[in-house]
Amino acid sequence: MITAVRKPMEEIIACVSPYDRILLAGCNECVSVCSVGGRKEVSLLSSALQMHFLKQGKTLEIQEVTLERQCDPEYVEELVNSVDSADAVLSMACGCGVQTVAARFREKPVFPAVNTAFMGASERQGVWSERCQGCGDCVLGITGGICPIARCSKRLMNGPCGGSTKGKCEIDTDIDCAWQLIWDRLKALGLENRIEEIMEAKDWRTSRDGGPRKIVREDLAS
Amino acid sequence: MNMKKKLSAAEFVVLAEMNTPKGVDISEFVTNARGIKGRMDAVVIPDMDNGVMRMSALGGGALMRREGLEPVIHIYGRDKNRMALQGDILAAYVLGIQNLIVTPAEPMASGDHRDAKPVEDLDETGILEMIRSLCEGVDMAGFELKGAPDFTVGCAMAPVAGDQELAREVENLRGRVAAGAQYIITPPVFDLAAYEKMIEALRPLEVPLVATVFLLKNVGMARYLSIHEPGCRISEDMIRRIRKAPDREAECIRMAGETTAELRKMVRGVKITTLGWEHRLADILEKAGI
Ligand code: SF4
Ligand code: SF4
Repeated sequence: MITAVRKPMEEIIACVSPYDRILLAGCNECVSVCSVGGRKEVSLLSSALQMHFLKQGKTLEIQEVTLERQCDPEYVEELVNSVDSADAVLSMACGCGVQTVAARFREKPVFPAVNTAFMGASERQGVWSERCQGCGDCVLGITGGICPIARCSKRLMNGPCGGSTKGKCEIDTDIDCAWQLIWDRLKALGLENRIEEIMEAKDWRTSRDGGPRKIVREDLAS
Repeated sequence: MNMKKKLSAAEFVVLAEMNTPKGVDISEFVTNARGIKGRMDAVVIPDMDNGVMRMSALGGGALMRREGLEPVIHIYGRDKNRMALQGDILAAYVLGIQNLIVTPAEPMASGDHRDAKPVEDLDETGILEMIRSLCEGVDMAGFELKGAPDFTVGCAMAPVAGDQELAREVENLRGRVAAGAQYIITPPVFDLAAYEKMIEALRPLEVPLVATVFLLKNVGMARYLSIHEPGCRISEDMIRRIRKAPDREAECIRMAGETTAELRKMVRGVKITTLGWEHRLADILEKAGI
């Protein structure tokens, strides 16, 4: 899923302070799962903002709406009525959601309330880690199900580097060395020979490096 | 007089563009350089022009210096991050390269290494600010340099298709000038009346303009550009003129010479791009009366 963290309160306050009425829009998908932009967080941020402005003698009118999916124009359409009575939109969705709202309501200022972080997986309650960089040409099938691009600090395709120590990455001892993990997994699968096979220089065209990407499914596109 | 002095003395500068070889055979590169020595104020060396991998501009610039020509090298952000850019810029200076042009880069997808990973750590404005900082003796991380370089830095204007794009590009360039660009290389000129308008639009930026003279080598090239580069304004008359000429090659040279002569009355310099016909640079200048 897409993970995010809430922006510092001061930054959010600075964005909304010129306005009297804002529409605070959450999203029920990824940001809700990682507890940063779902219904609950919308309500918490709303109260915090109202309190802040009340202390300054200003009443900030906030409409709270949490959409099923903010990156889907169909659901964003639900904001049509509420957006009229707001001076600006504060979105708690990931960057995709913010942009879908901004594209739909071109005359309305839209601000992100969260910093979209990465595509990751939940390790345990409250901990998410980066797992994929969307390179568009997945190699997990040959690296034992561990991504060298997202998880090796140097994105090595033929690791490990010389800094791998006791299973940890030289960048930070809190980070597992991806290539140690790959090695361990390949060994467990009885495929350790694979580590000797040289991976060719990667074709980055399928990644973001070929320019902004788009998927068109002829069978579904209308 | 070197390029910096000529630019500040408002003298007309003539630059020739020369690409480095794809490989290590530098004989043609060096022969062409020798052929124009003394006739040009400086040689502009693009870096990986059109996204084609070739010997770096840094190497080309150092070779030009060795041959006694003043080099100007292109700097852009597609292939290097701020570490590599700063390192190469410092190296350029000690190798005798005192002129830089900060340019946009062709997208990787249009070059000959389409699967490569672009870097894009800094954009053109970011690079200009970084160069200014290096010249002030401080790197991008705020550390003091042991000896600061001193560059004359230009920036490149993108071709524009219409008035709206022109207005947008002028604003873009305003930012680059504020970030330290001391002159602007403008796109190839084929329509002098339209170029006059461009000069007017750029006048408020108050920096010297160096116009690009692009040698059309044949009808096919002229036709291709007129279709695919809507901003270039190659007229049907121009194409007809080449097609009807008894000696088409000579006509192309004459046309580039005429444009150069006209531009001499309009701007502060020209950069002549000949795409492999560097051996004809002297003829173009002759036709231009330079
Ligand atoms: S190889 Fe590419 S697609 Fe597969 S997990 Fe890694 S980044 Fe994602
Ligand atoms: S220590 Fe491991 S994860 Fe870290 S950079 Fe080296 S190979 Fe990659």
